Amino acid sequence: MKSCMKKLIEILILILLSAAAEAQSRFPKPDFESGYQYPTFSYAVPGETLWSTVDVILLAAMMSVTAWAVIRQRRRTPVFIVSIISVLYFGFFRSGCICSVGAIQNVILSFIDSSYAMPLTVFLVFILPVIFTFFFGRVFCAGVCPFGALQELVNIKNFRLSKAVSAALGIIPWIYLIFAILYAATRSSFIICRFDPFIGIFRMGGDAGMITFGGLLLVASAFTGRPFCRFLCPYGALLSLFSRFSIWRISITPSCISCELCHNACPVAAIRPPYENKVKERRRDGVKRLLAYLIFLPVMALAGALAGRMASHSLSTVNKDIRLYRQVAQNEVNPRDIQPVDVEVFFSQGGTVDELEARAAKIGADFKAYSTAAGALIGLVVAITLINLSVKRTRKTYEIDHAACVACGRCFGYCPQNIKHQRTNDMSKKDSIRVQGVGK
Amino acid sequence: MKKYTASPISRKRFLQLCGSIAAGTAIAAVSGAAATQAIRRRSADYFWQIDPSKCTFCGRCEKECVLTVSAVKCIHANKVCGYCDLCGGYYRANVKDLNTAAENLMCPTGAIKREYVEDPYFEYTIDESLCNGCGKCAKGCNSFGNGSLYLQVKQELCKSCNECKISKVCPADAIRRVARGKAYMLKDA
Repeated sequence: MKSCMKKLIEILILILLSAAAEAQSRFPKPDFESGYQYPTFSYAVPGETLWSTVDVILLAAMMSVTAWAVIRQRRRTPVFIVSIISVLYFGFFRSGCICSVGAIQNVILSFIDSSYAMPLTVFLVFILPVIFTFFFGRVFCAGVCPFGALQELVNIKNFRLSKAVSAALGIIPWIYLIFAILYAATRSSFIICRFDPFIGIFRMGGDAGMITFGGLLLVASAFTGRPFCRFLCPYGALLSLFSRFSIWRISITPSCISCELCHNACPVAAIRPPYENKVKERRRDGVKRLLAYLIFLPVMALAGALAGRMASHSLSTVNKDIRLYRQVAQNEVNPRDIQPVDVEVFFSQGGTVDELEARAAKIGADFKAYSTAAGALIGLVVAITLINLSVKRTRKTYEIDHAACVACGRCFGYCPQNIKHQRTNDMSKKDSIRVQGVGK
Repeated sequence: MKKYTASPISRKRFLQLCGSIAAGTAIAAVSGAAATQAIRRRSADYFWQIDPSKCTFCGRCEKECVLTVSAVKCIHANKVCGYCDLCGGYYRANVKDLNTAAENLMCPTGAIKREYVEDPYFEYTIDESLCNGCGKCAKGCNSFGNGSLYLQVKQELCKSCNECKISKVCPADAIRRVARGKAYMLKDA
């Protein structure tokens, strides 16, 4: 077997000798007699550091403006202006790279791979929205993110999806996030960047499939609020964790008259109406339910982990080295006259099957571990979503689901009490509505 | 406040506080870890570039770039070029007549301009607005000539994607991130 392999490699090297031959001076440098001068070319390198600094400063400034607008001013107009600036600058001018959504992968990779150096701006682009979310809610999503802004700008009407449908679709961002981490951690691919539906629109060119998908999403977002943010965006899922516990946040107008207008206006169904749970549960039943959840959660996690482990072989196909190894292995079993380009180049560059096999085995082991963990996490997410659907809490007033609220400020224009406050405020220029904190 | 004493608002507030503390700690931990990394590691590279010594001219740069016309272009190192009349990057191999009819030329878009200098030398220039980065000429030049035609990522066209799509399909792993000072790997530099 081994000698056969060696022979194969030798033949390959012979065949590829001409192609592999490096740049060599086959022909001497010409002696010009006519006084010919070599032309000079200069290759300009754009000043990327300047632009990325502008990016970070603008990002922070726009999030500050949004936070001020939705928490202090309770007006949408500044958010709308920020949205337009974001679509024009971050979207069309900077054509979307690097974005906070994709930066998740760089951060994960930098923690896993010690040889990868993450630029500081990339980290800032990742962490600044998280910090702002922790303090002020999802002000990044409101209009600073060009994707959210674009969907918000084309939104005309809000057709509501049923609670069950939106809960089921709401699992997708988590799965997407978990897979993005899985593939970033195994150094396989940045799937968030690859399957970005809007970047093709911003760049006005690119993968036809993704542009079509982006176009369909935009059409959908005309009729229902922010489908990408709610049902796809992995960064939104991450931010929702932080906005759940944010310190200062958007609030229902204190003198609420329960008119329901804000609830109807909300594009992301983040305002929950008052609800009285008429079923009075006995304490014993409550304990039973809790126990059932406590069994259900680990069972789901375990099932997910098992599924993940079983799927790890096919999941690892995304990795380039694994793909190459499988091609090489297949080629060994069933040699073909014309090798695939990857295999040909691999051998021509002096790669050996043993070394590749060792590398592939290591990546495969990584995949096994990570996909088990990913499967367990997905199981947990599904279980928690199901539990959330089954829990019914009594609400005395309109409440904001801060995890879902993207701080777009659409509700302000609909709230009659808010408008009344603002009118009297504008007239007297005092007694501004105070910020409502966690404790209120 | 009195009205709500019966409702579980205090428990909710307690959970809120716990959550806030956890979230704050998480942010601090991630930032701290990133800061220590930034101190320990060398500065990050930003620009994508092709290492000409690894490139095998497989032609994937033309097709895989996210741009409609690839940001990868052919570059000509005049100081390496032999100024040959019979140029392996200009003419296709085994053509019947050696004339400049399109079917005899290597470049599918006619981006290589050929100009007579003096006997027997010809100067070759790449028209970058026509070049699509297919690398056919570079392959020919490397197989039969001095290898003065080679592929490079044009930095003013490149979008510097977070992950270069070509780098993920390059069979030779020739595309990687480089520092600003090495944004071009020129053969005649």
